[in-house]
Amino acid sequence: MKRPSNIIFACLLVVALTLGAIQGCHIRRLRQSETFYRWILAEATQYRLFPDFNAQPADVEDKAMMDRPLFQEILDVAEKVLPEQNATDDKGNPLKRLIAVTSDESKDRIIWDLARGSALAKQRGDFLKYLGQKKLSSVASEFDPNAVYGEQGANVGIGNIFFGFRKLAANFVWLQVDRYWHQGMLHRMVPLMKTCVALDPNFVDAYLVGAWHLAYNATAKMSDTPEPLKKYYPKYGARLGEKELYYYLAVDFLKDGIRKNPRNYKLYFDLGFSVYELKLKDYPNAVKYLSEAIRHRHDRWVPRQLCIALELNGQYQEALAGWEDYLRKFPDNTTAPRFIPREKALIKEMEAEKAAERARNAKDPAEAEAARAETERLRGEAVKMWQDLAGGGQEEDPFAVGRIMRMKAQKLIEEQRYFEAIAVLQNAWSKSASFATEALNMIIDVKLKAGIPLSVSEKKAVMRREEAEKYKNAPPEATSSEGK
Amino acid sequence: MMDHIRGPWTIAVYTWREGMRKKTLIGFLILSILVIFGSSFMTAFMTQTTVGDAQTDIEAKLIKDICVTAISIFGVLITIFISASVVPNEVENKVVYTVLSKPVRRFEYLIGKFLGVQLIVIINLVLMGALFFIALYLKQRIMPTLLLWSIFLTYFEFLIVSAFTFAVSCASTSSVLPTIAGLFIYITGNMTEYLNDVYVRAGQTGQWLDAMVGKVAYVLYQVLPNLQNFSLRNQILYLQPNDPPRDVLIPNLIVYGLVYALAGYLIAYWVFRRKEL
Repeated sequence: MKRPSNIIFACLLVVALTLGAIQGCHIRRLRQSETFYRWILAEATQYRLFPDFNAQPADVEDKAMMDRPLFQEILDVAEKVLPEQNATDDKGNPLKRLIAVTSDESKDRIIWDLARGSALAKQRGDFLKYLGQKKLSSVASEFDPNAVYGEQGANVGIGNIFFGFRKLAANFVWLQVDRYWHQGMLHRMVPLMKTCVALDPNFVDAYLVGAWHLAYNATAKMSDTPEPLKKYYPKYGARLGEKELYYYLAVDFLKDGIRKNPRNYKLYFDLGFSVYELKLKDYPNAVKYLSEAIRHRHDRWVPRQLCIALELNGQYQEALAGWEDYLRKFPDNTTAPRFIPREKALIKEMEAEKAAERARNAKDPAEAEAARAETERLRGEAVKMWQDLAGGGQEEDPFAVGRIMRMKAQKLIEEQRYFEAIAVLQNAWSKSASFATEALNMIIDVKLKAGIPLSVSEKKAVMRREEAEKYKNAPPEATSSEGK
Repeated sequence: MMDHIRGPWTIAVYTWREGMRKKTLIGFLILSILVIFGSSFMTAFMTQTTVGDAQTDIEAKLIKDICVTAISIFGVLITIFISASVVPNEVENKVVYTVLSKPVRRFEYLIGKFLGVQLIVIINLVLMGALFFIALYLKQRIMPTLLLWSIFLTYFEFLIVSAFTFAVSCASTSSVLPTIAGLFIYITGNMTEYLNDVYVRAGQTGQWLDAMVGKVAYVLYQVLPNLQNFSLRNQILYLQPNDPPRDVLIPNLIVYGLVYALAGYLIAYWVFRRKEL
């Protein structure tokens, strides 16, 4: 009686353990596919956003890195497998199918099916092989490359208590970073911040706050570096001093975060808004990264900042379309109704400038006269729009006031009434903060044009301008020594 | 038919009542509650002048990481202690003789005991999870729904540990050995990946013993439950709401937990039915 019953139990146990082993294999394959899927997303984002993607990453161990060749293979396979996407990049060039699909977060399931399907079986195998050999180090954590793309090994289980629970350790390192910040020891903070994100590559807020420290707090007490003291940095393609270098370190830090967390809008937002727009005044890049931020699940204020960046970049039509779309989505918003007429007035001003340009370049006197008349008409319309904006609300809009004065000064300059133009610009300088810098530059230009003596501060500004111009045109080799 | 359900259920409820009175469990529960609430105070070490939203998010991350760790550690200790003690204690107190002298089969008795253990584990998890939920809600003011999935997956990890510890406890007369075995199961379950490393590195010396060790490691790697698979419970808290791999992995992990729990229970019953009582 006992024997057959034991055999039945043994069989049942073997069946249960076999089922468990099969399910375990299935989960392992899914986990490997998940790692592969996250890597594809990260690589595709870099391919689309970072122009230096094709550059071979620097490798301290002198191993041949396989990121780029492997991803190129995947792109080729995906071209055959994925349906046509009809998507283009900023310049209107057609995007590769895989890149087009990965740029749309709602299509992540397609990438997931591709990553675990048979079409990319060979590449998946190669990926796992390279990951094990640490040949994908361009975006990997120095502790464990798998920790970036897969979660196994990076958690806080008992096993990892004995072998270092990284996520929790990253939190405690962060507490120390915070302590150093309040003690003013920035030189100690920077390496710890890097340790923190090496321990937990998905610690997005460490990237955000770290970049903020680098771009803002580290440079708060520094003066702008004089042009002759700046060095050329080939990596950034710019001449930088100690202060300016910190901005680019913040850019690098956030880009590293994007590589490891390509689906988090906050990193794109901070890179576009906090660093490129506010610090570097690099509006094309600000637009690029803010446009990327709104592709992902984002907060309500993100499209507003994109519209502002578009305006700063001179893309008034796009900014207007953005504000109108925003107002349709959020009818209760009070910002969009202020910006829509502003964009319309800026567009009108731009049309007036184009007409003035036509008038200047026209060879036929009749054509020139017609263009001048159109310029006058458009300027009149623009001034009317700005006047409505300036006096329309309960408070005077300083931006509109600045624009009115700018147009007035321009007209006076064209009529060669330089002293009156300077008076208008000086008035504008005190009344409109957004126009103040441009007003000062215009005053200098008018004085130089009319041969009016410059003040001491204006002379210094001219010297700075000339110096910047001199180094801007100088070849990098002539001005660089160690900025590598 | 109803008797076959009522009997085990009565035993399960009795086991739960008895288990909830254990001082060790209450001690672990209080400690875990202290750590979970303490996580909110940990953030007080950070001075409140970092940028607004990022400050809140970092504090929330601290709470999440500390709470997940606390639930993992205290939860598994509760699971191991209770799974290791229910049967040996009844044998020691001789209550098992009274119960089995009634029209209750060993199979039903063991199911009742196992269900009772699961009730205790679930209630402890619910309590710790609820506190975690409150701590996070107070910090972020949003419903952390993904947290429920994290706690749910944690349970299935504990289910495997519980089933195998329970199996060891059925062969033992005291709760000390099964407790040590339970800790061993949890630690080795989290380190199963190392068996794969052994397999990959084996055979380099060319000696038969080396190759044999590799083969044994490979079989063990395939057969033993890998608790690291449940690490998704940590990842889940930071993933985007529409993450395709997560949706596929969760049901698969539930099946994985149930299959190994069944294997553990089969071993437990196999041992217990041969036990001389």
